[in-house]
Amino acid sequence: MSKSKKITLSAMAVLSAVALAAHPVSAKSTSGTVSFPSAYKNTSAASKSANNKSTLKVAEPNDSPFEGISDPVLASNAEDADVFAPGGLDTLFFNDKNYKIVNGGLANLKLDRKAKTATITIRKNAKWSNGMAVTAKDVEYAYEVIANPNTTSQQYSSDFATIEGMTAYHAGKAKTISGFTYPDGQNGKQVVIHFTKMSPSMKYAGNSFIWDSVEPYEYIKNVSIAKLASSSQVRKNPIFTGAYKLDKVVEGESTTWSPNKYYFGKKAKIKHIVISVVSSSNVDKAIQSKKYDFTSPNGVMHGTDYKELKNLKDYSVIGLPELGYDYFGFNVGHYDTKTQKNVMDKNSKMANRSLRQAMMYALNLDAVEKKFGYGVSWRANTLLPPVFSKYYNKSAKGYPLNIKKANELLDKAGYKKKGKWRVRPNGKPLTIYFGAMQGTSAQQAEYQDYLQQWHKIGLNVKLATGKEMEMNSFYDTLEKPKQSKIDVYAAAWSLSSEPTPTQIYGEDAPYNMGHFVSKENTKLMNEMNGSKAWTESYRVKVFKKWQAYMNKEAAYAPGSFSYTWAPVNHRVKGYNVSPSNNEFWSNLSLTSSKIK
Amino acid sequence: MWKTILRRILIMIPEIIILSIIVFLLAKAMPGDPFTGSINPRAGVAQIHHLMEVNGLYDPWYQQYWNWVVHLFHGNLGESYQYNEPVTRIIGQRAVNTLWLSLFTVVLTYLIALPMGIYAGRHEGKLPDTVIRFYTYVTYCIPFFVILVLGIWIFGYVLGWFPTTGSVSPTANGTFATIGSRFYHMLLPGILGALFGTVNIVQYLRSEVVDAKSSDYVRTARAKGVPINDIYRHHIFRNSLLPIAAFAGYSITGLLNGAIFTESVFSYPGMGLLFVNSISYRDYTVITALVLLFGILNIFGTLLSDIILSIVDPRIRIE
Repeated sequence: MSKSKKITLSAMAVLSAVALAAHPVSAKSTSGTVSFPSAYKNTSAASKSANNKSTLKVAEPNDSPFEGISDPVLASNAEDADVFAPGGLDTLFFNDKNYKIVNGGLANLKLDRKAKTATITIRKNAKWSNGMAVTAKDVEYAYEVIANPNTTSQQYSSDFATIEGMTAYHAGKAKTISGFTYPDGQNGKQVVIHFTKMSPSMKYAGNSFIWDSVEPYEYIKNVSIAKLASSSQVRKNPIFTGAYKLDKVVEGESTTWSPNKYYFGKKAKIKHIVISVVSSSNVDKAIQSKKYDFTSPNGVMHGTDYKELKNLKDYSVIGLPELGYDYFGFNVGHYDTKTQKNVMDKNSKMANRSLRQAMMYALNLDAVEKKFGYGVSWRANTLLPPVFSKYYNKSAKGYPLNIKKANELLDKAGYKKKGKWRVRPNGKPLTIYFGAMQGTSAQQAEYQDYLQQWHKIGLNVKLATGKEMEMNSFYDTLEKPKQSKIDVYAAAWSLSSEPTPTQIYGEDAPYNMGHFVSKENTKLMNEMNGSKAWTESYRVKVFKKWQAYMNKEAAYAPGSFSYTWAPVNHRVKGYNVSPSNNEFWSNLSLTSSKIK
Repeated sequence: MWKTILRRILIMIPEIIILSIIVFLLAKAMPGDPFTGSINPRAGVAQIHHLMEVNGLYDPWYQQYWNWVVHLFHGNLGESYQYNEPVTRIIGQRAVNTLWLSLFTVVLTYLIALPMGIYAGRHEGKLPDTVIRFYTYVTYCIPFFVILVLGIWIFGYVLGWFPTTGSVSPTANGTFATIGSRFYHMLLPGILGALFGTVNIVQYLRSEVVDAKSSDYVRTARAKGVPINDIYRHHIFRNSLLPIAAFAGYSITGLLNGAIFTESVFSYPGMGLLFVNSISYRDYTVITALVLLFGILNIFGTLLSDIILSIVDPRIRIE
């Protein structure tokens, strides 16, 4: 989908979903047997009467009511982004299939490396769905809301500090952000953002320097920023810049849409859209009984649903590799709260690279994914998902099952067997604690399989705390600067559409929860957005090199990739989730007045 | 009587204060906070710390408790961390949904269960009794979640008789249509809840009726020549209601508890799911507000049950 999701599904959203149902994972075994198309090609002609009179019904699979925050600046969960998607999420830029920002959207972006500025030029006919013009102030106000000291937004990125005057505003010391200038006034169409440092990542949608949505300043200026999320301007009567305008929202249940006549782009064809929350316990049944045209393109559908729906008549499964991945992390150090840096501990239990590699080689992830992924998830070979088609290192091997190699690695590294279990090279006993989050019975089985495989190579691995951990306790433990309860853990990341991993694996990243740091890693990460990286081919090379390096170090090791997929009814025409389809909703039409 | 009620209400005050402290401390004692796990690889940890600080989550517990109590007396239960809305508003919305659904379910349950219980008791050991007992045991044995999924599948999806999601149709406009749509949306979960929630009432009532049948006052009435139907209606029924009346108070205050499974399967925004979600989100303001509310309702439920009991059975009236 074009609207690269601005809200990187917070781990919370992902994990709570995981806790309630099967793993949100996905397609294609390593042999590449399953691969979903990213578009449904409907050869029938669109029907005008169907477009005008029929309602496009979309199901949002979720186990609880959505929160109802329509504003992408304030929302922190994926469901809200899904149910308010036809409004366009007020996205500023269009992007190509590699998420690179291109001209043609609500605004165009021009970067000037020398002057260290980003110039955002709003198109002349850009309007809100109530007819108000989109202004330069609307672009800037998004930053004010995000960075206001009293905000409820969780989107403030540390990279915003490179905007001039941002730190002062964020600390409440300045009333405005001095780094924003308006060549033709606040009500004009141009904004110039002045940075102290430029980064090649700025060229991509979802980067952490330039926020890519607008706020309707005139419409919300009288609401204090602290109260914005609960205001009726955000909850009940929000306005949008996208192809559709909101007609009605039933809190927590459904949203209803009709075409926005002020939309700058391709006019919406279908006159009526309803998006309703459907419990993930019966969303498969809902599709089977043809109640919905499709499930939200970014909604969480499970492997078990795929099993039920893959052969359903009159529906096709359309999908895209997920912006995210499951991974294994090893605890190899601590976070120094004084210097605010991660530090590797040479003597820590998991500091030995051979030990980590051996543990990864011992796992039979191919078989696990085959059994529990139902065809929508597969073993990951690197720490960057294939949705980034340019950056993804296809040739990386990752860690396929290889017990022999695992044993060799351990033998060589001096982890000798003493009785039933191997001991540390210094002769002391070795017990490794595996941190795993509570999930479904399928996940429990997966964890048990991991333990069994590790036992096979003579490692005494036990579940940390003796059982699976509740999500909050799990992250509470891992986020501590120093902890020894968990030595290895399984978790997941959702990513923004700009893949720089500094915020999760960087030396000063608090989310680097395994505390892996090396000169090489820091160097590669710096090079990803260094001055040479303005040349894309170079940047791609660095990303690939980094993936290979991380695989070798195995401090964080790839777990699984999955598809984000949806069943699409055959009366729908123009359904295309490719990132370059920037006008997803206005490209949709219907070929029949009833769901087939 | 009134004295007793007044005294009971006065005792409630310390009860509620202690309850509120326990609730508050236990909520805070859970690992994590509203922002744990809400990790966003783009936005920094500094912002999370900032939000924790702004929300006073780093203050010592007694200070947080005091702030909370002060706000409480201003009718302000705080803002939900998850929803970024005043807690009173969220609970208000959900409470209305839950109240109507539970009320409908409870009324229906009694309508079904009372005649069944009496009938089974009256025909003890005969075929109708066996059938009714069998029915209650079966409904009691099957996990309610299964019933819901099966019910929504058969009646919602296959037969298409009932709506399958939400509390109201997104296209319902106007007061009348909205009320109609709301009722229509309650039907299936309500009926399922009632059909599969009869066991307690039926069993209690049945055994009471069986006991009452052989009691002296019934024999006397029979000997006097009172028609058997009248005996059941006036004598046995009223006496057999005692144990059920004992629950009535809880039933009334329990209307707001919500039903997690029903709400989840039917995507019905109610109190049950709100409670569970607020716990997994560590949405302290919502958790404390809800537990306090449930606690107070329970205390009132006990009182109400006692009052109802004393109305039904003058013997236990307390002075």
